[in-house]
Parts: sequence; structure tokens; C-alpha cells
Amino acid sequence: MYPNLTPPLVVLLATAAGLLLFLVVRGPVLRRLAARQISRRLAEAALIVVGSTLGTAIIVGSLVVGDTLNRSVKQDAYRSLGPIDERVVTADPVAGELVGYALANLRSDPRVDGVLTTHTEQAAAVVDRGGAQVAQPRTVVWDTDFALAQKFGDGGAASGLVGASPKAGQVVINDALAGDLGVRAGDTVTFYLYGKPTPLQVIRVLPARGLAGAGLSGTVNRDAFVAPDMLMSAAATTGTVWPRTVTLVSNVGGVESGNVHSDAVAAKIRETLAPLSAAGTAVETPKKDVLDAAKKTGDTLGSLFLFMGSFSIIAGVLLLVNIFVMLGEERKNQLGMLRAVGMKRSRLIGGFVLEGAAYAIVASAIGTGLGIGVGRAVASIASSIFRSWSQDGTGLDITFAITRTSLVNGFAMGLLIALLTVLVTSARISRLNIIAAIRDLPAAGGRRMRVRWLVVSTALAAVFAVAAVFAVARGRGADTYLMPALALLFAVPLLARCAPTRFVYTGAAAAVLLWCLTASLVRPNLYDDSSMATYIVLGVLLTFAAVFLVSENQSIVLRPLRPVIERPTEAGLATRLAVAFPLARKFRTGATLVMYSIVVFTIVLITQINAIISASVDGQVREATAGYSIRVDYNPNAPTTDPATAMRTGSLGQSVVAVTPLTIATAGATDPGRRTTAPLHAVAVGLAPQALDTGFKLQRRLPGLETDAAVWSLVGRDDRYVVLDPSFGSGGGPPGEAFRAGDTFWLSDPTTGRGQTKTIAGVLQNGIPFYNAGFSPATAFPVVLSATAVRDQFGLQAQVSSAFVRVAPGVDERQLRSALQGRFLSSSLVATSIKDVVQRMFAGTRSFFQLMDGFLALGLVVGITGLGVVMIRAVRERRRTIGVLRALGFRSGTVQRSFLMESSFVALEGILLGTALSLLTAWLLYRNSSAFSGLEGGFAIDWTTISILVAGTFAASLLVTLAPARRAASIRPAIAVRVDN
Amino acid sequence: MKTPLTSETAGTLLQATGVRKVYRNGAVAVVALDDLDFSVERGELVAVMGPSGSGKTTLLNCLSGLDDIDGGRVLVEGRDLFAMSDGDRTQHRAQSMGFVFQAFNLIPVFSAAENVELPLLLVGVPSRQARTRAVGMLERVGLGHRVAHRPSEMSGGEQQRVTIARALVAAPAIVWADEPTGNLDTKMAASVMDLLCELNASEGQTIVLVTHDPGIGERASRLVTVRDGRLVSDSRKPPRSRVATPVG
Repeated sequence: MYPNLTPPLVVLLATAAGLLLFLVVRGPVLRRLAARQISRRLAEAALIVVGSTLGTAIIVGSLVVGDTLNRSVKQDAYRSLGPIDERVVTADPVAGELVGYALANLRSDPRVDGVLTTHTEQAAAVVDRGGAQVAQPRTVVWDTDFALAQKFGDGGAASGLVGASPKAGQVVINDALAGDLGVRAGDTVTFYLYGKPTPLQVIRVLPARGLAGAGLSGTVNRDAFVAPDMLMSAAATTGTVWPRTVTLVSNVGGVESGNVHSDAVAAKIRETLAPLSAAGTAVETPKKDVLDAAKKTGDTLGSLFLFMGSFSIIAGVLLLVNIFVMLGEERKNQLGMLRAVGMKRSRLIGGFVLEGAAYAIVASAIGTGLGIGVGRAVASIASSIFRSWSQDGTGLDITFAITRTSLVNGFAMGLLIALLTVLVTSARISRLNIIAAIRDLPAAGGRRMRVRWLVVSTALAAVFAVAAVFAVARGRGADTYLMPALALLFAVPLLARCAPTRFVYTGAAAAVLLWCLTASLVRPNLYDDSSMATYIVLGVLLTFAAVFLVSENQSIVLRPLRPVIERPTEAGLATRLAVAFPLARKFRTGATLVMYSIVVFTIVLITQINAIISASVDGQVREATAGYSIRVDYNPNAPTTDPATAMRTGSLGQSVVAVTPLTIATAGATDPGRRTTAPLHAVAVGLAPQALDTGFKLQRRLPGLETDAAVWSLVGRDDRYVVLDPSFGSGGGPPGEAFRAGDTFWLSDPTTGRGQTKTIAGVLQNGIPFYNAGFSPATAFPVVLSATAVRDQFGLQAQVSSAFVRVAPGVDERQLRSALQGRFLSSSLVATSIKDVVQRMFAGTRSFFQLMDGFLALGLVVGITGLGVVMIRAVRERRRTIGVLRALGFRSGTVQRSFLMESSFVALEGILLGTALSLLTAWLLYRNSSAFSGLEGGFAIDWTTISILVAGTFAASLLVTLAPARRAASIRPAIAVRVDN
Repeated sequence: MKTPLTSETAGTLLQATGVRKVYRNGAVAVVALDDLDFSVERGELVAVMGPSGSGKTTLLNCLSGLDDIDGGRVLVEGRDLFAMSDGDRTQHRAQSMGFVFQAFNLIPVFSAAENVELPLLLVGVPSRQARTRAVGMLERVGLGHRVAHRPSEMSGGEQQRVTIARALVAAPAIVWADEPTGNLDTKMAASVMDLLCELNASEGQTIVLVTHDPGIGERASRLVTVRDGRLVSDSRKPPRSRVATPVG
């Protein structure tokens, strides 16, 4: 992922490596110092490496998820397209023949290595198994000439159609169809071609690759190859319908390398076919579309995980800062001495950087390996979730992939973040008072900022204040949160000159916290841009501000604990010590608190969003189905009685209350949200005027239209108005409101190029039932308009090929679906339970949130490791104090208890802070974000998951503290109290 | 307030016999205390002196029960320290002993009053009463104005006074002081010694202090010299010589 980032990252990495090498070669003292510090406490060095490893692991894991999804989607190109780069599909057989002739000349083009014209039709394939029928209504039948196909592209080897063409009465099928029907060579399969049952003998089963896996919309196609021109002959008997003529073009090169010529070849095809455009000759670039979709899917999912992982990365950075600040404190005396004997500050920094770089390099290398495992685990769970999202059950087969680019990028990002953290922290540590450091005196605190820095800071505050005004006025995204917070942050030094620092810090933190919690009340459209950055900025600002506020006011927070702390018992004293040390080490405690709260905040927020969605599933299903139980999709070319009419007659008439036919046409559209300039795949779904007010609920309506009925009425009488699904044009990521009712976009017919500007009259609450209508691809976004409008714009391409079915009360829906498929087998009818689809989509969404939670839980490892490191350091630092306490009469068990209580205090405070902030944020989102508007089920809190998270994190925190606490308890007072440790 | 030492209350407070302590570092074993016999009478101010590495601090650590011994017996107020469990020994320390260390060793995150009240709270004195007594003791050592200050906000001499206050506040039977003036300048050292001598003289507080400073040793009622883990001399002085001397 992100190949464009590789060059700058490599340059930065090389620069850093050069500087480090310079330090190693030119600084023998620094080199020795760093090496000795590392080898002095190997176990601790190992712990630092473990803590630092996770940041890189999360980055690499996210990139590997992107690579894997990219590769997996690309598999569709290999499986269902093979050598096919461009295709022209025509419904009119005469136009189809003309296209074939016109494009035959392309064979002389050096960029093209194959042109093949063939016919295709959808049919039901049926086998009889001991009296029971096994059917596959979505079979794609081709009458391709195998001899010609074998010359198509890359020397013909990629076509997949090996052997001779089947003769009359014979069929070659691919393994996908053979698997569905359970047949092999020699068996007989009956195909319903244009309503007529045609038994054919299977002579070969081919792997579904190349032309043998080709289709016009699906990712997994069940293909059957009949004798050349058999489809045309079969259609001729009806005299009314014809198979679609498809002219396929193969570019020079392999599956992916041929794609580079796609734009040029497609342009040439369009130019060649310009005179035929009126006849409906759409030029498609399916491979380019699939490869683009692969990149988009990989990038979207990869960056989603990277963004989510950024909370854990921030926690990892804080861990590194904390570790180095503690190292600095521990070595204060040494550093003071080094400065005293003449070592420059820059060399002191160099020594620290060398030591940090050693940890960072090892951690990044291990993290890269670990990240591959994380990516693999996430991808494999994601694959089952994607499968559940697919309506036809084919889903996405995950092919694990790692690119060198991702590994280099992940390693470089992890290492550079670590090095930068170490550098900045070292620079801060090196600013020490030599005498105070040598004599172990407390550093003089409260040093005032220099005037020039005060001026710079105040100027920046003013700049950000102005930026904040514009950001709030725009009212969208991360800037609204960030700019006012930055303005306040830079104003703090000035304010601190006018008022007591505690007052200023408390006020600033409280103001940022309040703004983050209430900004969505002031600017309700804050989340409409669907940007992850908004959520990241919000999460970071909330947790940092809250932790700062709490850290500055711990005495108030702990007031309720006073009776326990002041108990004149050993336990009371242990409690007093347990809170006294974290309170005294404000920075260290604050950093640990942020590590905990930022990760817990994110996990609880995702859990809560999941809980709110889960609580609304019943309502969502009701709204999505609008009372319809079943959607039927069928081949309109089968010359049987129109299923939409036939369903209401005969034996089925008693089970079916209403049938709403859908007029379907393949369409192209621009993005009304202006998120992309690339054309979107769409499917125009036309509702008959009498069925327009179907009960499908709208979440947004054109201003002035007070009711849903008014919107549907407008759509019925005015072709310029349409209704869209809220996810129209979305490429993934958090929900938002990219477009509104009243926005316009361009809707076109890809076969003729004719287009019209459409105005959004309303936005559906849930458009799931309209996806895949009429066997349209899952990636095509539905545009709902009147049937008349569809027919007017799309002409012959518009066909009634789907219908919503309302079932009579008490009817067994499963049995009815089965009966419908059996009754209309010749029409290749597929009956789908709308409720099942909606529920499956929600189940998939919930699983995805759970996967996110699992991924984010990696961040908890960072926090828990951080606490472990802090406690190990604490034992070392407090050896003498522990010795004194033991000498004064503290039992070893009390020392242990005190340490455990201390870690419990920090962990619990962080966990509770994160949880409380998250619940509050979730509630505010629920109340104000358009993503939750109209959801039934109320604000549900998933106490079970939250309790497990809190208890699990707390238990793990105690577990990592157990060893240091035991070590503290076993310290021998006689040794600990000696002056020289 | 402790009753001044009289002939009725006098007696052996600590009796150590055949105490042996060996430090082992791999194959190397160093005998720090070698079959040492030692006793402390109530009300004594004992100075333990000797060259570096002679075993002075080890003697203090072993006799106070801070460290284990490899042989012998230590009776404090008639109770065998090393026959007790670690818990009982700890409790015994809380009730009967006070400590003053060279490096002060105050709890850095506690104020002076909180540090001083610590031993009282450990023996179950109610908080309010513990605080009153701690403040009283701080006033006694001249730090009534530093009650709420943390160690980092005090000078070395003040910190050592807090340590002394902490050592005495629970009225222990014996106070162990390991180089109590080692980290102080001459003036501060004299002031701290004045305090210790005054407490010993006026309240009969038993104090055993380890020092390498002959001037301090001179002010003790009894001077013990240790060399190579053995007592090589033990001399008592008349009480008169322990009166505080002007600091100059």
C-alpha cells in the first residue's frame, strides 16, 4: 500500500541511518555508553522492545490487510476476466454483429492480441437427483467457438477453453456450475433456454478461469458452453428475444500488464463504434474496473485499519516517551556527571538516540514480522464477514498477499516514529541542571518560558484562533475540533503569566473537553464528511484533555477515598502510598493514563456504535423491507408469462398479497457527494406509478416535501427526481452525509451514452433491498425512480426483471420462495428473503465492528506493557523507600499490596476515564449525528462487553504488576537503605 | 513522654551472642561479623566505630533485625529476633525500634508530618492522634514551621531532623542510627548530635549509632570499636562528658 510514500520514507530512513552511522563511527564514547546501558539490564531492554514492537506491528498489519484485500479483489480479474480487457455488449443481435465486424480490424492494433464475438444468455440449469431437482438459476450460457477462443489473447492459453467446441446436444461447464449441480462429464443437465427445457450432455468440466469463468456481472460465474450459434438458433424459435452479443477484446500482456493499454484501446473502440452508438453499444473496461476496485477496496480497508490503529500507535509513542523519561530520571546522576566533565548536550542526546535507535530497530524488525501475522489474522476474519455480506453467497475469496512496498513502508513508518519520539524525548531529558542532577536534588520547576517563545506561542494562538473561526463556520470535520483546541493550547503560556498555572491548566483542559463534547450540538453536520480523521482528532483531544484535567485535580478526584487513605492501619498506609506516588509523578502517571484511556475510549466507542445498531436491527429490518418479504429476480428474456403477473394467479395467488414489479437498467452516475470524479456503477430501479408509495421509509426529504408520500409522488410525476440509498457512492469508512436532498448528479445509460441531470428528492432510510436487483452487480448503487423515467431514458435496455413480493399473513416464506423458484424455473427466477439479506448485512456489520474491537485491543497490550514498565521502574527507583518502610514496620505483604493497589489505581482510572468519555461521546453522536438519525431501539449500552473489557484489562494490568510487586516485597531492608545501592 | 532513666528501669535491652554474618558472592565468602557478642543497656548512647568495611553497618543491620544472620542469637527486650517470623519481626521493629539513616531516607512523596506519623499509624494510633503527636515531635526537633513541607523542600539538616523525629515518635525502646551525620556539614552534624545526646540524656532514649567520626564517638556514653567483624574495644564514659558542646 501507498507506493507514493515509499520514496520519501526511504529518503528519511536513509538520512536517519546516515546520522546514526555517523554517531556510531564518530562517537566511540556514545557508542560504548549506549551499548553498556542496553547490556546492563537485558530483561528491561527486552521489555522496552516488546512495548515498542506493537506500533510497527499495527502499521504493518494494516498495510498487509490492504494488500490482501487488493490482491483478493484482483483475483476476480484473474478468475472471471482472464484475457478480457474490454467488451462491448449489445442487446440487438444485428448491432452486435456489426460491432463484431467493426472491431475485427482491431486485431492489427499492436496493443491488441485478440477479438472474439460470442453470445450469452442467462438460463436455469437443472439436474434430476433421484426424483428431486437440483437447480442453478443463475447459469451463464455461452455459445462460443472454442477454436476462435483459443486464439484469443496471450497465445490463447489464457482463455481456459481447451478442447473442441461442444456439438449439438453437448455442453462444457465450468467447475463452479459442476459443483453446484453435483455433476461431472457424462451426466445430463437440462437448460431452460428461452423457456424451453433443453437436455445436454456434459462432455467436459473446465476450471473457472479466463473465458471459462467469464460473466457480465458476477465475481463467481457458473458458466455453460453450448455449441457455437446454438443460442441464436434457440432464440430464433421465439422470434421475440435474442441473446446478448458480446465482443471481447484482449490487450497485449498478462492479466494485469494488459491493463495499461485499456484507456487507449477503449478510446479506439469508442471511436470505431461511434456510428453505432445509437444502437446501444456500450464499451466496458471490466478489467480496469476490477483492478481499480481492488485498489480502492484495499486502500479503503487498509487505511481504515491504519486510522483505527493510530490510537494504539499514539499509545505506543507515549510508552516510548515514558520509558525514556524514566531512563533519564534514573540516569540523572550519570547525565549530570557527563555534562559536568564537559560532554555537550548534543552528544548527550546522541547517546540516548543511539540507545533508543537500537531498541527501535530491533522493535521495528520484530514488529514487521508480527504485523504480517496480525494482517493475516484480520484478513482471514474479514473474509468470512465479506462472504456474509454477499447476497449470492459468493463473497470474496481472500488471497493473502504482502507487497514489498507495504513491508518497507510499515518498517520505515514504525522506525521513524520511534526515532523521532526518542529524539524529541532525549532533547527534553538533556535539559538538566547539572548540580541538581549530580546531587539528586529536585529540578527547579516552574521555569518561565522565554519571552521570544512566549511571543511565538501567542502569535500561533492568534493564528489558530482565526483558523478556528473559519473551521467552526464551515462546521465540518476535524478542523472544528482541532483549531479551537490548538488556539487554546498556544494561549496557555500567556495565560499562565496572568493566573496561577493550575487554574490555567485546569481551565484549558476543561474548555477543550467541553468543546469536544458539545461541538456537535453547535455544528450538527460535523460528521457528515465521513472522515476517520474527525474521530481520531476527537478521540485524541478528549482523552488528553480529560487526563490533563484529572491529573491537575487528583486531590479532588480522590477526595471520596480519603476515609480509606486515612485509616490508621497498615492497609490504609498502603493505600496512601499507592496513590501518593502516582500523584507525585504527574507526567508518568498522565502518560500511562492516556495510554489506557485512549485505547479503551476507542474500543468502547466501537462497541457502543455496534450496540446501538444491534438494538435497532428489528426496526431497520422493518423499515428496509417496507412490508415486502421477498424479492424475485429473473431473466426477462424467457418468453413465459411475466412472473410478476403470474404470481398473483393460480395457486400462488393465495400466498401473495401484492407484487411490485421493478424496471431495471444498468446505469452510470456521477457522485452527488463530489467525493470522486470517477463514474459510479449504478442500477436504475423503476417503480410503477401505482406502487411508488411503497412504504420504504426516507431519512431525508427535499425541503418543502413534508411526507414520504409527497416525495414518492414527485418522483412519480417528474422524471427529474430520484430517490437514493444513503450509501450511494460511498467507498467505505464511517457513515456520513455526503449528499443531501436537493443535490444533483448525472445519470447516464452506458450503452448509448445518453444522460440526464437528476435531483435527489429523498434519501432512503435503508436501500439494501434495491441492491443486486435484476442480477445487477453488488457494486452497482441503486437509483430509484419511476418506471416511466427508466423506460424513457434507457429504452430497450430497461426491462422488468425483478419484483418485490408481499406475502399473505401465515404463509411459510421459505416454502413460498421454493415454490416460486420451482414454478418459474424456466425464467431463471431467484427468490430472495429481503429480511434475511438485511439481517445478514447487519450481522456482517456487527462482525466487522467486533473485528475492529479485536484489532484495537492490540493497543491495550501497549497500555498494559506501559504500566508494567512503569511499575518495574518504580520498584528500582523506590528501593530505598521500600527499605525504610520495611525497617519502620511495613510487612512485605503490605509492600506488595501497595504496589498492586498503585497499578490498580492507575489502570482503573484510565479504564474508567476512557469508558466514561466513550459512553458520553457515543450518546452525543447518537443524539446529533445523522448516521444515527431515525434508528429505533434507543441508546443501548452493551454492559456485558464493556464489563468484560474493563475486567479483562484490569486483570491483565494486575497480572503484569504482580512480578514487580513481588520483587518490591522481597527487597531486603538492610541493603535497600544503604547509601550506595 | 518517656520516664528518665533511673536505676529501677535500667537493665539489658539487647543481648547478642555468637552473631555471625557471612556475605557470599559466588565462590567468595566474606565474614562480616565473626562470632560477635554484644549487649546494650537501657539508656545507653552507644557509638560503634571502626574503619571502612569493618562491619559497623552490618552489626547495626543484624542487631536490628533488618538483615538475617548466619549464626548466633539476638535478644531484644528478652525476645529472640531471629526466632520470630518475618512478619513478627517486622511488627516488633514497628513497636520497639526507630531508625536514622545517613541518606535520610524519607518518603519523598510525603510531607514532614506524614513521614513522622508513619510509625504511629503502623502501630494503630488513630490518625488524628498520630498527626498531633507527629507535629509535636517535629516542634520538638525544631521543625514546627516545616510540617507540611516535602523532603525535597528541606535542607539536609532539616531532613535528618525529620528522620530523628520519625525514629522517636513512637517511643521505641531503641533507636538505630547509621552514620546520622554522614551527609551533613559540620554545623548541621553538631546540631543533630546535640539533639540525639539531649534526647538520650533527658529521656533516657537508648541509641546505637554507627559513625566513623571520632568527634561524634567522643560524645557517646559508650564507644565500641569493630574491626574485621569483631569487637576490639568497648569503653564506657561518665555521663558528664556527653553534655552538648557549643558548635564552632
